[in-house]
Amino acid sequence: MDIIVFVKRVPDTSEADINISPDGLHIIEKDLVFDINESDKYAVEEAVQIKEKLGGSVTAITLGTDSSEDVLRRCLATGVDQAIRLTDEAFRDSDACGTARVLAAAVKDLKYDLILTGVQANDDLQSQVGPVLAEYLGLLHVTVVNKLEIDGKIARVHRELEGGVEDVLEVRLPAVLTIQTGINEPRYVSIMGIRKASRLEIKVRNAADLSLSPDGVGQKASQVKIEKLFIPVSNKATEILTGSLDEMTQKLAGIIKEKGGIS
Amino acid sequence: MVDTRTELIDRYDLTKCFQCAKCTAGCPVSLKSVLNIRRLMREVLLSPDLQGTFHKSEIWDCTTCQTCTLRCPRGLKPHELVINLRSLLVEEGEIPKTAIDALEGVYKHGNPWGRARSKRSEWSTGLNIKNLTEGDTAPLLFFNCCTTAYDPRVQEIGKALVTVLRTAGVDFGCLGNKESCCGSEVRRMGETGLFEMLSEDNLKLFQNSGVNEIVTVSPHCYNTFKNEYPEHSFGIKHYSQLVNSLINEGRLKFSRELNRKITYHDPCYLGKQNKVFDEPRNVINAIPGVTFIEFDRSRERSLCCEGGGGRMFIEASASGQRLAEIRARDAVEMGVDIIATSCPFCLLNLEDAVKTTGNEGKLVVRDILELVVDAL
Amino acid sequence: MGGILVIAEHRKGDLLDVTWEILNKAAVVSESTGQRVTAVLAGFNVRAMAEKLAGRAHKVVVVDNPELANYNYEVYRDVLTGIIKNLRPVLILIGHTTTGMDLAPALAAHLNIPLATACIDFSIEDGKLTAIRQMYNGKVNARVCFSSSDCYMVTLRPGSFSVETENAWGGEIQSISLEVEKPSGIKFIRSVEAALGEVDITQADILVSVGQGIGDKKNLQLVEELAALLGGTLSCSRPVVDKKWLPKERQVGSSGKTVKPKVYLAIGISGSFQHLMGLKGGTIIAINKDPRAPIFRVADYGIVGDLFQVVPVLKEKIKSLK
Repeated sequence: MDIIVFVKRVPDTSEADINISPDGLHIIEKDLVFDINESDKYAVEEAVQIKEKLGGSVTAITLGTDSSEDVLRRCLATGVDQAIRLTDEAFRDSDACGTARVLAAAVKDLKYDLILTGVQANDDLQSQVGPVLAEYLGLLHVTVVNKLEIDGKIARVHRELEGGVEDVLEVRLPAVLTIQTGINEPRYVSIMGIRKASRLEIKVRNAADLSLSPDGVGQKASQVKIEKLFIPVSNKATEILTGSLDEMTQKLAGIIKEKGGIS
Repeated sequence: MVDTRTELIDRYDLTKCFQCAKCTAGCPVSLKSVLNIRRLMREVLLSPDLQGTFHKSEIWDCTTCQTCTLRCPRGLKPHELVINLRSLLVEEGEIPKTAIDALEGVYKHGNPWGRARSKRSEWSTGLNIKNLTEGDTAPLLFFNCCTTAYDPRVQEIGKALVTVLRTAGVDFGCLGNKESCCGSEVRRMGETGLFEMLSEDNLKLFQNSGVNEIVTVSPHCYNTFKNEYPEHSFGIKHYSQLVNSLINEGRLKFSRELNRKITYHDPCYLGKQNKVFDEPRNVINAIPGVTFIEFDRSRERSLCCEGGGGRMFIEASASGQRLAEIRARDAVEMGVDIIATSCPFCLLNLEDAVKTTGNEGKLVVRDILELVVDAL
Repeated sequence: MGGILVIAEHRKGDLLDVTWEILNKAAVVSESTGQRVTAVLAGFNVRAMAEKLAGRAHKVVVVDNPELANYNYEVYRDVLTGIIKNLRPVLILIGHTTTGMDLAPALAAHLNIPLATACIDFSIEDGKLTAIRQMYNGKVNARVCFSSSDCYMVTLRPGSFSVETENAWGGEIQSISLEVEKPSGIKFIRSVEAALGEVDITQADILVSVGQGIGDKKNLQLVEELAALLGGTLSCSRPVVDKKWLPKERQVGSSGKTVKPKVYLAIGISGSFQHLMGLKGGTIIAINKDPRAPIFRVADYGIVGDLFQVVPVLKEKIKSLK
């Protein structure tokens, strides 16, 4: 089985303070820790597990500057066979379709039975690239896959819905599947493993290599553009308690009781 | 770390092991785990299936307390064999999920708790501690430790040390948010590559800070800086050694009586591994109003609290009584008010044990620094 | 032709709340722009739902066919492509649900329609469409605009607008019969209902809910004790289930359960959109060390602090109140 996995380098925003640049168009990246997008990590693990079971190869591809090579090295250390980085000034500020166009061009000449990527990127939360890529490649797709079995030319998948419900589907391969977190348990990638992987070559491709016209990608071709980023202000009147720990918890306990929280 | 049988036999002198079983007889986790260090030494030597010898969940039960190594009559190091075998599992990516989280936390954020680096020195807000990475200078570095920085209970110990150092007029500074994990538990979980990276980066940081001496809160940081880091010329002290000197030099004077019965739990990484037994006791006994009672299992025989060897991040494979609970029950029987200790992991584990054995109210656990501050 | 098209989503004979929410917003926009609202309902045996929709749109277009009984991208793409090409709306609205998001991006790319997803609002002013969408765990919002097009598509987060309405429209229902080809690439096999666990958090009045902030399975004891003290039930957010610290039956959120307790204590929960989707009402109290966590935008009361410091003291205060 030859599998292609698309991965993205994103900032870890769980505890970090996020600040917006003065021009209101980007977030300030200094002091942010970057890593592979969470659902992409599960997609890579799934691809490698399938390869370990059925044989074949896994190729990881990312669209990014050279800092994205950390993410690719991690993929190689996980057991991915080949890594490709797509980079070009022209790709900057692509919308989802622009990104998908670049990714589609990258796989045009590659042999594959299955394409995986994460459900959504935790930075822009768009969840678009997987299905749009499928459309551009003339493939079908299933999103939010939390269980995957390969049976010859068919993938049997569980698509996760709201409320813990799942749809079971069979998809003819090749197809694009977007992978949900929790589908497997990603293995640990050690520093030594990453060091060993640094010896493997990461292929770099630009717009010319992919025969892409700069007008078809990046900001020029973008149909959805960010006008402004802002920190959301709540309309709700949230009462944040103040005072010493003793005072705050005393007050909160009273509120809990008042609202029927003690039975 | 080595990865073939021949290299393992060679590195750990496995042919010298004559299976006397003093190691397993002294191993504290053998009270509750199927981990058998004596058998492991033999299996690695003889078993045709090397992989099978260490693909066992009990290999993660070891706390690397070093009782086995200290007792071995042939000077062998069984605990180091365990660490090496763990490193083989790490390279395969086959480690407990919680260990993955801890290691990734150290790699990304500089601490195993997965907390943001930008919040590392929040515990000391308002204390105006010198920041040696931002131009301040001092001869002594107070190395906080990830647990001191982020665990609210242990933050109290960090604050206590600041109070003690200032009261004694000691000139010191910290590394602020640039401080990263010492790597002790990282090494013990088998992530040798990450440990090497940390030790190199930390030494550079220490060198740039211009200090001569480093004092730690945690015996784990103390032990690894002193014994496992690449060669360096920093004087490494655990706070108990420093505070003991300050008391002897008359720079710390007590004005209050504690009037308590106190026992002391020797942390493995300070006591049996580094022979620092007397200094903590001297400090406790210097406090007025203290009645000191020794555990039966004290000093070299102190019962491991199960915090070392990465165990703060890994659940034991076997269920069963936590060793710290045995300590708590013993202390209650002895009739003491306070278990004093000098290690953040021991403190947290013993406090948990006091709760889970239902002895809240009968017994409290305190770090020695807290007792010192109470009596100043 | 113009108009606003709302793709109605339904499951097992019921229309999803998000469909009503979007129709409400569409009604408001219709009023200010004069664009008429058409609801599109594709499925099998959907007459009853079509009638309900007719009360909330100018027109309802219905395609009723056995091949549409279960959502299948292949089939729905072909049916909706036909309808969209026929009606030529200026704006297409779809719920940002897992099914909506399986459909929208590829359909939009198929028809070359600019699409903004994960939006919580949109507006048309002076003929220009802008939308507000969420980014970075909900910590940052973006106002986006579109390059000129005949048609635009937006997916909208459930809960962005009110479900209730006072309007009552008498929309016309138009049934369309289409040749629907059997799908060849994707085959629907069956649906799997959520497994019934030991605990039903949807029945609880008091929920103590724990998130990733708890840090480790062994720290759960702290919140379990709090739940017991309050006479409540323990629930959690998705990361806690992913890490296998608690079983899935305890999960509140879009991929877990929807709860409506009297009091909801969110401890160490950031408040991601998916989690909040499962929380419908009650007094929400948040304890989190990050003052910018999205949970504080929806909470009624909050303490910014380390849960390991706050919860033990809170327990004491509650004990003394009981």
